Amino acid sequence: MRRASTGRPALRLLNTPLEREDPAPLVSFCSHCGSRPGPEAAPALSRVCATCGLGLILESRADVAPAAGDAFLVLDRSLAVCAVSHGAEHLLATSEPDAVNRHVTDLLMPAGAEDTGGHSLAMAVAWAARGDGGTRTTVVRPANAFGIRLTARIASCGPPRAALVVLE
Amino acid sequence: MRYLKTSEAAALLNVSPNTLRAWERRFGFPKPQRSPGKHRLFTHGEVAALRDALQEGLSISSAISRAREGLAADANSLVGALASYERERADAAIEAALALRSVERSVEEVLLPTLDEIARRYTVESAAWAFAAHWGSDWLRRAMRLTPPPVRQVSIVLGDASRDELDRDAPYIRALELFCVRAGVKVLSLSARGVAGIGDAAAVHRPNLVVVAGGHLDDDTVARWAYAIRLAVGAMPLAIYRRGAERPRVRATGTTVLPPGAGDAQRTLLELLESDQIATASASAAAAELRAQGRIARSHR
Repeated sequence: MRRASTGRPALRLLNTPLEREDPAPLVSFCSHCGSRPGPEAAPALSRVCATCGLGLILESRADVAPAAGDAFLVLDRSLAVCAVSHGAEHLLATSEPDAVNRHVTDLLMPAGAEDTGGHSLAMAVAWAARGDGGTRTTVVRPANAFGIRLTARIASCGPPRAALVVLE
Repeated sequence: MRYLKTSEAAALLNVSPNTLRAWERRFGFPKPQRSPGKHRLFTHGEVAALRDALQEGLSISSAISRAREGLAADANSLVGALASYERERADAAIEAALALRSVERSVEEVLLPTLDEIARRYTVESAAWAFAAHWGSDWLRRAMRLTPPPVRQVSIVLGDASRDELDRDAPYIRALELFCVRAGVKVLSLSARGVAGIGDAAAVHRPNLVVVAGGHLDDDTVARWAYAIRLAVGAMPLAIYRRGAERPRVRATGTTVLPPGAGDAQRTLLELLESDQIATASASAAAAELRAQGRIARSHR
């Protein structure tokens, strides 16, 4: 927004970040341990992680994809939990078999009362699970825990299409 | 029913046998049975359902959840068939369950939960329960007739203390009977009401253990029946099954209370029978040793 010669604010059309940036390459990661299968590895016959055996290999943008040991969740478009990483199990004091199919708000809540509109956790997850490109960042807290603020990077992942929430 | 060894199931899922065992520990699925040599035997249906779910899943947990939902559909379709009084559809539903599971697991995971659901939804006074209980009892008896003859040298006498086939405990008692017969145990099932001539029956059958099952008959009636058995064949271990934990007991010394699930009860019974056999075998070994020592002592004299 800039001021016109009259002094009144005027809107200006800007490129969205997605139009401006080159699309980030896709990388694979395990939905449980977060480790990435090396490029030299032979094409796997199954999607099961060869490192931990407890997760499936998913793909996401390289700038969002978690590193090994990171805390992250995978959610579907109905905001149900589909995967909980080993790091997130420790961070949120839960286990993946218990958390799967529960609503995201059973595990995470928006940390700021002022979070509204497109910045809210639910909307960001719904957008990412729909397959919208780009990364959204919001601040969350573990459900039923106050005073803990975690930055959540939310982007699309898959297949099948889902939302990846990386907690920092 | 097709079973897969651990290596075969792992190959079908394209994972290592260790990964499959890790899934069993962490998720309890796929749940194998054990061969007589204690090796894991996975049902092909469960492994195939998991393989399909893994193609579409976002995690192992979600794939397992989806595979379980698919398998639970059998129970839902059986409830629907019985609630609408359709015998053929009920037969087809339990046949579909048998395609994915063993007889024991089909009974434990589909048939008995279905009957419980019908009783809960419509009450045991309803026509739906009468139809379902009759169908369940009939199916369990048919399954028992198809079981090969017993191979173990052990037998039990089962005193049925339930009211009739409309009793909620009756399907569990029939299921326990079926599981024991399928495990190779000789089972003589008698009503706990009938005392006349019980001595002859017990003498012919020579049981290793007596089970009193069902909670309808009062303790005095059941005690008279158990006493008649004892008079005929002497003292022997007694187990009670689904007699109602809340029922106050005057004396239950030496009695084993079996868990309410038919599968758990069968396993406990087999352990009891094995320990009884071991005790009998060690007693006879000790007696033989004493006899041998006696012979040696006589020869020295």
